[in-house]
Amino acid sequence: MQRKYFSLITLMLVIIFFYSCKNDEYSVPLGKTGLNNDCIKRTLGPNIVGTNIEFAYAIAMPVTTGKIVSAQVDATIAGATGTYLENRSFYTNGSGVDVGITVGSTSVTTDTKTLVTFTKDTCASTLRYFYTIPEAARGKSVTFTFAATGSNGEKASFTMGPYVITKMDMKLDLVATDNKACYISIADMAIFDAAGAAANPGNIDLVYLYRAITGITFNHALASPAASPEYLPGITLPTGVNKSTKMSKTWALNDFNLARLQYGIYIDDVDFQQLDFTNAPNFVINLKAQAGTWVETADGKYRAYIYINAVNNATPSMTVSIKRFLMK
Amino acid sequence: MKKYLMITLSLFLITFAGVRCSKDFPVDSDGLLITTRGECYVSNFELLGADFVTVRSTAAVIDTTVLTINAIVLYGTDLKNLYPQFSLVTDAKLDPKIAGKVDFSDLANPKKYTVISGNRQVKKTYTVYITVQPKP
Repeated sequence: MQRKYFSLITLMLVIIFFYSCKNDEYSVPLGKTGLNNDCIKRTLGPNIVGTNIEFAYAIAMPVTTGKIVSAQVDATIAGATGTYLENRSFYTNGSGVDVGITVGSTSVTTDTKTLVTFTKDTCASTLRYFYTIPEAARGKSVTFTFAATGSNGEKASFTMGPYVITKMDMKLDLVATDNKACYISIADMAIFDAAGAAANPGNIDLVYLYRAITGITFNHALASPAASPEYLPGITLPTGVNKSTKMSKTWALNDFNLARLQYGIYIDDVDFQQLDFTNAPNFVINLKAQAGTWVETADGKYRAYIYINAVNNATPSMTVSIKRFLMK
Repeated sequence: MKKYLMITLSLFLITFAGVRCSKDFPVDSDGLLITTRGECYVSNFELLGADFVTVRSTAAVIDTTVLTINAIVLYGTDLKNLYPQFSLVTDAKLDPKIAGKVDFSDLANPKKYTVISGNRQVKKTYTVYITVQPKP
């Protein structure tokens, strides 16, 4: 019995020894041949009309096989003015700064295609592509086909997308001033003074005001024209300005597009669609910088998010940025 | 050899049977542990607005004798969309549960919340009185 166990253990040890002493063969990996390309999308968050989508398109081929002749991007919907493909290839220097080296002529955009023709003898390059989202793309999807051609006739292409373009609008850094330009229109995405509000009373959704009242914290406020007069102290509304706008106060909802701060928070179309304004008030008071308010217009046509970039008690004024979504 | 195997197996079976037959800890209908604690009170009360920032102007006054909570909220507080937060004594639970926003706007009929002790034997109903800071 004992001899049997001894033989079995010996056999196992031999097998272990055999496998553990086996040399793993290593071979230097071979580089890809031919013209190769790759692409990444550099921008995050929702794709909003008027803003850029940025890509980095890398092209390379073995130096022995030729050089890059051209790079091209074809978008399914033509980009707006400002769309371009960089004619510089970037590298990051020791200080962490991106340094551009011109490798080709300035890009030429024809309809949906943007082309850079290389003027430098180079076999590796990374070009950035900035697609300015046009109005025509609102609510649609856009796909990009990146393509490169080598001097040996080789071609390579890379498809990115489809990317959904949001339906929302965005307006940045509107300044509301107490008793002056204080009438906010969501429909117009603008702030009017009393004369402007009187000219278009149906579009005024909110009134900005600042009141320093001893004993309570009123301070910076946004109130519907139809809010109780106690929340519009000292305000004489222009004739016809009478809408009741539903609001829901927020704090620290620092949307990246609106706040342009370090927070990676993005408000997208779906956020507006999921809001519930049941029992929502038509005023918010004591607003501070980095606060905000969700808004639904009286007719339910628009929902918006008003972000407060800054407040000033001395002037007194409020700088706001708005994202707006068309509900119906 | 066989003897040792039998002893080990028997010990294992006895241990297993012992563990299986031990009494489970009792839980209530919410799946919460029922303990021996009979204490039953609210230790702290908070009221948050729609922006999840407190709307209290002063600390809430909790009277564990007459079972009332008095909170003064800031002028302009939207009473229809508040999130109450109760801190309870260990193992106690609250009824009704707070699932989301609560409408406190009917000041004439203040909200009532019942605290149930850890042993589920003691129940105390607190009334929450909200007062809005007046405009001077």
